[in-house]
Amino acid sequence: MENHSLIQRLIARPEFGPLVLLVVEIAVFWSINPSFLSPQNISNTLAFTVELGLIALAMTLLMTSGEFDLSVGSVFGFSPVLMWTLFNSGVTSLEMGFLIALVVAAFIGLVNGWFVTQLKIPSFLVTLGMLLVVRGTALFVTDGFPQRTWSAEGSWLAEALVGDFFIGPFRIYMSLFWFIAAAIALGYVLTQSRTGNWIQAAGGNPNAARARGVNVSGVKIGLFILSAIMASLAGVISSLRTSAANPNSGTGYELEVIAMVVIGGTALTGGRGTIIGTVLGILILRVMRNGIVLIGVPGLAYNIFIGAIILGMMALHSWLERRHQAGT
Amino acid sequence: MAEPLVRMENIRKSYGRVRALVDANFHVNEREIVGLLGDNGAGKSTLIKVLSGAVPLTSGDIFIRGKKVNFRSTSDAIAHGIETIYQDSALVTQLSIARNLFLGREPIKPPRFLNRMDQEAMNVVARDLLKQVGISKNIPPTTPIGSLSGGERQAVAIARAMHFDSDLIILDEPTNNLGVAETQGVLSFVRSARDSGHSCIFIAHNIHHVFQVVDRIVVMRRGKVVADDIDPKKTNVAEVERVITGMSDKEIRDAVVEGKHSGA
Repeated sequence: MENHSLIQRLIARPEFGPLVLLVVEIAVFWSINPSFLSPQNISNTLAFTVELGLIALAMTLLMTSGEFDLSVGSVFGFSPVLMWTLFNSGVTSLEMGFLIALVVAAFIGLVNGWFVTQLKIPSFLVTLGMLLVVRGTALFVTDGFPQRTWSAEGSWLAEALVGDFFIGPFRIYMSLFWFIAAAIALGYVLTQSRTGNWIQAAGGNPNAARARGVNVSGVKIGLFILSAIMASLAGVISSLRTSAANPNSGTGYELEVIAMVVIGGTALTGGRGTIIGTVLGILILRVMRNGIVLIGVPGLAYNIFIGAIILGMMALHSWLERRHQAGT
Repeated sequence: MAEPLVRMENIRKSYGRVRALVDANFHVNEREIVGLLGDNGAGKSTLIKVLSGAVPLTSGDIFIRGKKVNFRSTSDAIAHGIETIYQDSALVTQLSIARNLFLGREPIKPPRFLNRMDQEAMNVVARDLLKQVGISKNIPPTTPIGSLSGGERQAVAIARAMHFDSDLIILDEPTNNLGVAETQGVLSFVRSARDSGHSCIFIAHNIHHVFQVVDRIVVMRRGKVVADDIDPKKTNVAEVERVITGMSDKEIRDAVVEGKHSGA
């Protein structure tokens, strides 16, 4: 009896669906092509996964508060361009360029948050506008060409962000630890801290939260800043790892990140969010992208599968939701 | 006479050219349940919104225990011990009972810099409060508000106001859309709130509900308080209805008859 209810509770959790999907996905790819689980493939997949993942973690909190940010992909592309431009022109050191890129990103987040909370413009429109402004700036300052990147090896910043080492046959980048640290920290904030309670209340019923003295605007502005900083950090990590700074990089990431978050079980309308679900959602999409290529499906078919997963997971979440509310 | 808990004097509120409140005078004593009645558009809601800090007044004064106050927001009013419970808008349905009770005032577990909620303490207090308002039966404090009934939600909102020692709890249509048993439940929470030293303003369309619970009835008409000392024990529903509409028995009959004539 006790056992039964434990299993039921597990199934009722919003993370259960994504977990099953991830396990099935891995099992299918592995059975068709055993090299899917080779150390080299796992290492490659993880390296890029955590870069998008950092953005998705911050987006989870922002979406729980009832807003979302379409400008993350453009910030992902713009920040490394800014950092390398400052460094190449001899204005600053690489580290100072990195710091300036983060501060500029924070300012972008602040402007997003200010438009949304003070001018009461929907975040869809505000961040769409910001996407164009930031992407346009990146293209304008570079004339559309990739920035010259210096091999960052030896710089302590590069070592701390993307330094790599081997654990047995696995090549691990430092960025994996930054991702794990961010996931634990933000998961803690969302579920354990009082800030997390405010984030959920801001998304669930902003009027009720405001009536209790919760600074709803402050919470949202803070999360817009967090989202932009994480996108900036992810962009710099990606740029250092690949030694490239292309003003076009990150195009379309905003939608992939939002897909990761909603597949994990966070509500697009706010009020409910889960970091564990987002981690699963990140893995589901990255494993899919990697796996279908390995089993010989043309890479161009990738979006068909992603779209199908989103629709399927949304149907599952809505079914669970209704069952949960109807049930006792 | 002792200074009332809340006194509102010559309150005026205009929305553009519409005068919603015209020199309204209103007071609530300590440990008193006041029933606020009036037809649609009489100014009840506006009066309550002014008192709860939701809308600014055009002119007039509000005193709490004799001291003049100036509310710029609902948080100002809450800080002065005035809690307003609107149906459905007071709680976050996605959050648990305990998290709703403490929203904005969550207890923190040391060390403080971790900003960590003391969820056990919250649950203990919540369980106790649920028992006090009589909905302890098998509802754990971790239940999300979304799976509670309308009456249970009202109870949670009232329990919250009681726990944080609001001096005055304003209930706006608390019995709307509730079943008979749930209505009785809400009325008994209101009584227990009074018995533990709180004052209440009770607004309801259903005059029978008001009669069952209030100590004094105040009637508003066209932005004014037209009667503020009706004792529910010394009158009846028909009498109060006459005050609300502002017509005598004969006038009401005539209005009905006239209606018939013009309709024929």
